[in-house]
Amino acid sequence: MTISRVFPVFSIAFAVIYIASVQYNLALFTYHPEPALWGPLVQAPKQGPAMYWYGWLATAALGATALAALALALPARPLERAAAVLVWLVPIVMIGVISYILRGYFLR
Amino acid sequence: MVTLLLIIHSLLAVALLGALTHQAISVWWPATRRTGSFVSGLRSVPSMTYTNAIVLLFCLTMIPGGIVYAEYRIVVRIMLQDYRLHVPEGAFELKEHLVAIGLGLLPAYWYYWKQPAVKEKAATRAIVTTLIAVIVWYSFIVGHVLNNIRGFGS
Repeated sequence: MTISRVFPVFSIAFAVIYIASVQYNLALFTYHPEPALWGPLVQAPKQGPAMYWYGWLATAALGATALAALALALPARPLERAAAVLVWLVPIVMIGVISYILRGYFLR
Repeated sequence: MVTLLLIIHSLLAVALLGALTHQAISVWWPATRRTGSFVSGLRSVPSMTYTNAIVLLFCLTMIPGGIVYAEYRIVVRIMLQDYRLHVPEGAFELKEHLVAIGLGLLPAYWYYWKQPAVKEKAATRAIVTTLIAVIVWYSFIVGHVLNNIRGFGS
């Protein structure tokens, strides 16, 4: 129960950090699918496209875990009240942000 | 191998879609009493019992999807760009990000379903469930459309 009370904090932080990782390319690692090679952090493409998606997920998971751990120190009641709204509002806003970032695909 | 993974990914996605749709309907439109009709049965599923299965199915669906995704990037996406199919390409880009946000939502989803009797969490539980259901529906439809453009057997 003690740890699970910060699960909503993890979800909120994950959405924000993930979108920031996409926008600023903060991948923890890069995958090169053509030669099937993994590399640390953001790398330039090698023999074909580079994939950062796995790295963005890792960045978001790591950052959200750290923030959720820090949130354990906060008082439970106010945290729970704020999280009850932010847990759905923040992902919806982040979906709006990523849709805006990708608008070029749909407006050509 | 890619074809097999794509089939597994699709089958798991169907199961996930069904479970989430059931849960979303029953949380927004619960049956007061079961009459025996199809609609009543749909509304009166024990939503709480779906939670662990949905979390597991979401993760299991992502695994083959994540593996096949590499093939998409080097084969399908390049073809979409060559044919200037920007909308399907963008729709799939959006899918990868929505699925990531959905994955991040799972711990909160599980947490809010852990205590279904707590009334003050009912609205949050319903909205988070709906959000994940919308993400899965969108991903399913886009995946299906992309597969029809250039996927299975091509």
